[in-house]
Amino acid sequence: MRRETVLNIVLALGLLAVPLAAQAMGEPFIVTLATKVAILALAGVGLNIALGLGGMVSLGHAAFFGIGGYTMAVLAAPVQAYEPLMTWPFELSGTKSMPVIWLAAMVAGALGALAIGALSLRTSGVYFIMITLAFGQMLYYFAISWPAYGGEDGISIYVRNGFPGLNTLDPIQFFALAYGVLMAALMVSWMLARSGFGLALAGARQNPARSAALGIRPYSVKLTAFVISGAMTALAGALFADLNRFVSPSMLNWQTSGEIMVLVILGGVARLFGPVAGAALFILLEHWLGGFSEYWKLFLGLALLGIVLFARGGLIGTLAGREVAHD
Amino acid sequence: MTEPVLEVRDLHRAFGALKATDGVSLSLRRSEIHALIGPNGAGKSTLIGLIAGNLKPDAGQVLLNGRDVTQADVAARARAGLARSFQVSAVAADLTVLQNVVLAVQGARGQSFRFFRPALANADLRAAAEAHIARAGLSGRRAIPAGDLAHGERRRLELAMALALAPRVFVLDEPMAGMGPDGAREMTALLDDLRHEAPILLVEHDMDAVFALADRVSVLVSGRIIASGTVAEIRADAEVQRAYLGEERLE
Repeated sequence: MRRETVLNIVLALGLLAVPLAAQAMGEPFIVTLATKVAILALAGVGLNIALGLGGMVSLGHAAFFGIGGYTMAVLAAPVQAYEPLMTWPFELSGTKSMPVIWLAAMVAGALGALAIGALSLRTSGVYFIMITLAFGQMLYYFAISWPAYGGEDGISIYVRNGFPGLNTLDPIQFFALAYGVLMAALMVSWMLARSGFGLALAGARQNPARSAALGIRPYSVKLTAFVISGAMTALAGALFADLNRFVSPSMLNWQTSGEIMVLVILGGVARLFGPVAGAALFILLEHWLGGFSEYWKLFLGLALLGIVLFARGGLIGTLAGREVAHD
Repeated sequence: MTEPVLEVRDLHRAFGALKATDGVSLSLRRSEIHALIGPNGAGKSTLIGLIAGNLKPDAGQVLLNGRDVTQADVAARARAGLARSFQVSAVAADLTVLQNVVLAVQGARGQSFRFFRPALANADLRAAAEAHIARAGLSGRRAIPAGDLAHGERRRLELAMALALAPRVFVLDEPMAGMGPDGAREMTALLDDLRHEAPILLVEHDMDAVFALADRVSVLVSGRIIASGTVAEIRADAEVQRAYLGEERLE
């Protein structure tokens, strides 16, 4: 078995074992932290499809994360206010059902990514980074000035949304849900990377002119990947909003984009479990270093600098070595 | 007389005041190798760009199998059977030889939007790719990342990828560039064999190869074709001597 495969299994089991042990020892806070790791990792898996597989350096993925969060709020807020979601042109009530919210979040994220990607992918390099950043900030300021959902203060959803057969207010059950979604997303990402589409995407990333001469339109391939990426990050946003039972414009802020990107880089760009390793490291650093100093992000920055300079493949790359070409 | 496979009619393209392509017409018939030669800056790259679809002409037409493809993009022309190789080897460096060729096969077949089936587990795609790799003489190297190949091997990979398009026309941009004498000889033999698969528009600086292979030669100078004919005619042409061959000898 390849070293990276072993490492992936260790990470998957570790992320499962820690909250189970914490639950047994009566430490629900750690269970919640593990849930946060799983959800941020999910957002990272989404970004990694664009960044790692497609080579699209998007500094606007907070847009999709936030779209997911606000989709949850838009659907769930009317229920707690005992109001319909809309009355015209037909009456529609909100929902507290997670599967429905997830589906809506993914559709909204995909549509957002389609619009943003269709325009941004006409540029490349540093312009692509800037234009995705600009779109993200546009949504951020829109959310701030949108009074119906709390404007700058955001909006609280007092009771966590439900999932058939589970008590989502129980931390360990909500963790199981987030973990299950993360594993499903990793499965999708794994299949995508090996598929014919994944190969076309690798070609479009490494050599767009060559790909076109082979009958592949790099723009269409990249846009499709961007849409899948946006949908996955939006799903993470919906879960994140449910974890906090709170949505605010900060989910859309460019700092959120930066954090998702940082955790992908920490873990290893284009590595399947890179975002999982990165999210775990990110949350660990936040809590350990955060205990020492308010300026923990300074140390995070130093760690990031070290990884970019000395460990190109991130945590996974350092531990598992260069990605071997598999036949 | 059969219809030309590739035909270019009165093609014009200017960049500002520079007329890079100035009324070029040429054709490529079945089973022939038509060499395009000319000094640096003559507009060869622009002409190839116009034929492949990277550039749009200001005026004129490009016909592939009698069909007007002037408005079609690069990918559409590739699927219509136009295979090109690049002056600078342009393979995906991180992918293996096999992955590069599978990419070409699925591109040609319009199968690039399959999301779940692993590309390399597709026996059909894989068998086609292996055959092209064998043809280009790279069978022993199929698991090597393209970036780790030697220069001559990369040129062969270029060719395997062009073959994968099941082309009607090859447009080969300096396939011998940077090859040693042995490599150039092998490549010459390979191209000679290839013409029966599809005719070749060959842009090449290696005059030995051009004179050994070409059925017809066109000479491009300052965006215009100043002479076109058999190898013997071109060798005898005084204007060509002055514009190109003489200069080449001085270099």
